[in-house]
Amino acid sequence: MAKVRPKKHPPFMDMTAMTDVAFLLLTFFIMTATFKSQEAAEIDTPSSISAIKVPDDNIMMISIGTKGEVFFGVDAQPDRIAMLDNIATSKGLSFTDEQKKKFSNQASFGFPLAQLKGWLDLPGPEMGTVKQPGIPTDSTGISELADWVYAARQANSQLRIAIKGDNSAKFPAFKNVLANLQSQNINRFNLVTDSEEPPAGWKVEDK
Amino acid sequence: MAEIVESGGGKGKGDGKVRAKKLSTRVDMTPMVDLGFLLITFFMLATTLGKPTSMTLNVPDKQEDKKEQETEPLKASKVLTIFLGRNDDVFLLDGVAADDDVAATTLKKVRFGTELRSGIFKAQTRVNSQFEKDEEGNLPFVVVIKPTVVSTYKNVVDILDEMAITKTKRYAMVDFLTPLEQELLGDRVVPRPEDEN
Repeated sequence: MAKVRPKKHPPFMDMTAMTDVAFLLLTFFIMTATFKSQEAAEIDTPSSISAIKVPDDNIMMISIGTKGEVFFGVDAQPDRIAMLDNIATSKGLSFTDEQKKKFSNQASFGFPLAQLKGWLDLPGPEMGTVKQPGIPTDSTGISELADWVYAARQANSQLRIAIKGDNSAKFPAFKNVLANLQSQNINRFNLVTDSEEPPAGWKVEDK
Repeated sequence: MAEIVESGGGKGKGDGKVRAKKLSTRVDMTPMVDLGFLLITFFMLATTLGKPTSMTLNVPDKQEDKKEQETEPLKASKVLTIFLGRNDDVFLLDGVAADDDVAATTLKKVRFGTELRSGIFKAQTRVNSQFEKDEEGNLPFVVVIKPTVVSTYKNVVDILDEMAITKTKRYAMVDFLTPLEQELLGDRVVPRPEDEN
């Protein structure tokens, strides 16, 4: 070896440490990845000081969009298929296996029963682009939300209800959802909210 | 990018021995780091990390043929009525019933936040110091929340939050307005065409 090393590429800084950190971060994100499922609509939830976490499983999610459209979804795929079967038998409809499979891939949906088949027949990527009108919840007119809730509970009796409403949804839409749920004798709900810092000096009371 | 650096194989035939040429490889790592950062960015954007929190809401049972339960009528002076109006307006009616003459002047418009909270606290301290606890040991302060057709879901959640912050244990949400209250609030709760967005 020559005594004087050729000074062709002097290393200003050794980048190994940076790449190490980069790969660590990457590994972390890969491990904690749970992919966001295709949502029917953008929902901005209000914030509250409540610190109770939404339970992970056995959740029936009722979402209320900005204009008051109601979307419904269950978190487990087998529950979704069972729920679809239940509602098919109760309403006298039938779904093909392919429609059922596509249905089970959707986290939530918002269509009246009449339009549901038409939407399920669309090719996969197109399903996400259609604007969903929402499930009818009108307490004076036709209301299908109560039927979906009943079908879902038949599929899985452990399901708990979470309501995710948008900030700008008007109160009557929320009232309709509550009325539908009360007609099924459901009186305890979880309202999904963003977390918010309680004001200084506020402590949780022991009940 | 990558190259093989050939170090000199020794000065000619200096010492008679055959020296194997020492080869060292140099690989440029830049593309790998680029891909690494690309993947990080992808995973950061495609996943959800923070779990949303939830707030519990209990409503009374709605029975078809409920007999009107005989409960003691609530004294208006113990009650703070909160009406939710349009554009995040809140109207407070403290200790006075809607049919009272002073109702129109007592009706106060506040905004969410410190104004509302201090209004609730004021009513709370007034009622709790003026009246006594009932037989079950509950504080006498009661809040009646009346959302209207022009209020939003956010208003409802925020007011329930205020109940939690002010530690008001006794509150009720009623979704209809009595005719007197309708008259009192008048135009403030009637939907306007511009409310339909």
